[in-house]
Amino acid sequence: MAKLNLKSILKKDDTVSVLQSLVHSANLNICVTDETGNLLFGNAETKKENACPVMLNGDVLGFVYGKEKNIVAAGFLTYVSQKEAERKKLGAEVLNLYQEINLIFNFSEKLAQTIDAPSICAITLEEARHVISSDQGVIVLWDEKQKKLQVLSSFGDSFFKEETINEQLSVLLRLILNGQSEIISDTFALIEAGIILPGIKSLIYSALKVNHRIMGAIVLASNEDIQYTANHLKLLTTLALQSSSAIESALLYEKNIKESLERENAMRLVYEATGKFVPYEFIGALGHKLITDVKLGDQVEKIVTVLFSDIRDYTTLSEQMTPDENFKFVSSFNERMGPTIRKHHGFINQYLGDAIMAIFPQQPSDALEAAIEMHQEVRRLNEERSLSNKVPIKIGVGIHTGPLIMGITGDEHRMDAATISDTVNTAARLESLTKQYRASILLSDACLLQIEKENFSLRYLGLVKLKGKNEPLHIYECFSASPVEEANKKQKTLSAFNEGLTNYLNRSFTDSVKAFESVTEVNPDDHTASFFLDNAKKILQKGVPENWNGVMEMTNK
Amino acid sequence: MSRKLLIVDDESHIRTLIEQTLEELEDEGIEFLTAENGEQALEIIQAENPQLVFLDVMMPKMNGMEVCRKVKKELSLHDVYIVLLTAKGQELDRQKGQEVGADLYMTKPFDPEMILSKAKEVFQIQE
Repeated sequence: MAKLNLKSILKKDDTVSVLQSLVHSANLNICVTDETGNLLFGNAETKKENACPVMLNGDVLGFVYGKEKNIVAAGFLTYVSQKEAERKKLGAEVLNLYQEINLIFNFSEKLAQTIDAPSICAITLEEARHVISSDQGVIVLWDEKQKKLQVLSSFGDSFFKEETINEQLSVLLRLILNGQSEIISDTFALIEAGIILPGIKSLIYSALKVNHRIMGAIVLASNEDIQYTANHLKLLTTLALQSSSAIESALLYEKNIKESLERENAMRLVYEATGKFVPYEFIGALGHKLITDVKLGDQVEKIVTVLFSDIRDYTTLSEQMTPDENFKFVSSFNERMGPTIRKHHGFINQYLGDAIMAIFPQQPSDALEAAIEMHQEVRRLNEERSLSNKVPIKIGVGIHTGPLIMGITGDEHRMDAATISDTVNTAARLESLTKQYRASILLSDACLLQIEKENFSLRYLGLVKLKGKNEPLHIYECFSASPVEEANKKQKTLSAFNEGLTNYLNRSFTDSVKAFESVTEVNPDDHTASFFLDNAKKILQKGVPENWNGVMEMTNK
Repeated sequence: MSRKLLIVDDESHIRTLIEQTLEELEDEGIEFLTAENGEQALEIIQAENPQLVFLDVMMPKMNGMEVCRKVKKELSLHDVYIVLLTAKGQELDRQKGQEVGADLYMTKPFDPEMILSKAKEVFQIQE
């Protein structure tokens, strides 16, 4: 606090006016000087007269000179000085309190903007050292699970030996975890015990408590012989109290975040797993984002393209393998086909042993492209198989476009994603037909209608009446997937093939035989041509059956 | 420009607080003046021509904004450094404070250190 001086007291208007009226009414001839003799008021001439001191708490503030009655003026000035000193003292105390409020206000504001525990601790230490002179400081938290003390923030040289902080648990814990706040002026014992480094002269600490649970402590230390006061301790305790609840919230927040991340992760894994059993496209088609939203009875009807593929002569093939080998073979086959189908925007609705049923919700050409690539994939697989002297495999693919109902069937406790559709049956039957026609890919006209024909190598194969169907179906062969030489031959004989087929359907069997023979001459391996050729020859031999209309009857599945 | 500073607030404890905060300036020979309302403040500013004014905004009779506007805009006393003080939460006044020509804007509870260093800066006193 700045020292009170007479000069400033005599600057106050009311003091001066009272003094002046005193001088006037009592007819005083005086002057006032400060303690070093500088004239502050009155007639300098009177300085030769008697001096009477103006005193404040034993200090001389100045003098009042005069022949007589100067003692009255000195008494008045002493009284005014005392009042002014009291006012200043009170003012200083108010300011002090105000500064504390300000400190706590700012501290709370800073804490409110911070959500992580180390930052909260750093702010707390910063505020603490601002009001409590110290060289070192630390905030330690007690980790109940690990039974360890953890340093969250510190400044200055560490006065705890980091490596021994937890070795000294018994003594430290008594210090830190007794929940007290304390000033330690005699640090000798702590230095002796090796808890703090030599050189520390004074120590002040306060516990961090939440709901009477002791979380840790804030400790400040000085290398100088500072006498920490009760006021320091009060401030530190206040900071500790505010900081504790902020740290507690921060730790809870962290824990919550961590837990919700774990939960999210677990959910993600579940979704990923369920996504493998029920394709997301399926859930999406039902208008849902999550499998958890799916309800029994959900259903949607869409026009889709269904692809059905099957390994030829799989029964024969599987007989030569153990069940384990069978499983591995089918798995390795499916592993190749799955990505190919997904690549062309399809999803596998079902794996049925060696058969695959896939749905292409976008364009029919997606399915056809996928089918071509599946054949190429099978060729690569066969190259690998030939290395270990295994017989090559063949697949047949049937593709049909039509309405399909996707839905959730079952009961409350056991649900299944199911497709109910005649389109699937047709695709499966077309696949079956590939054996009879010796074609690798067969597709219906419903599918071909929406396909740019020039992008693919196609042949019309006439009408087929599938088992259980009344309406015959126009079917086409796609030979884009055939080996280059074979495809070239089919392309070369395409017009002869078409001529043979047209004549066949128009009952001109002699011409049909001629045309198909010209095909098989060029391409003896064209089994489809041979198939029609044999049929035409049979009819020429045995005559045209009754009700013959060119439609191939498909009796078996 | 005289080395005087004026503290204007209707609450006496705030005046005492600011006085006490700036106590060391008295030793530098700076004269302290106080006023407890806007009208009084305006009179003192015109009569004493202080170099620095701490001016509370919320006051009876004439509020701080109005005092500031009169001093800066009507009387054109541009050399008076005016610090407007308002309670926290009334920060919306900030722009208005700029409009009336205030040099600085502080919120209460004010930081005593900031007030002191600002005053020293205005009076060009080395820290």
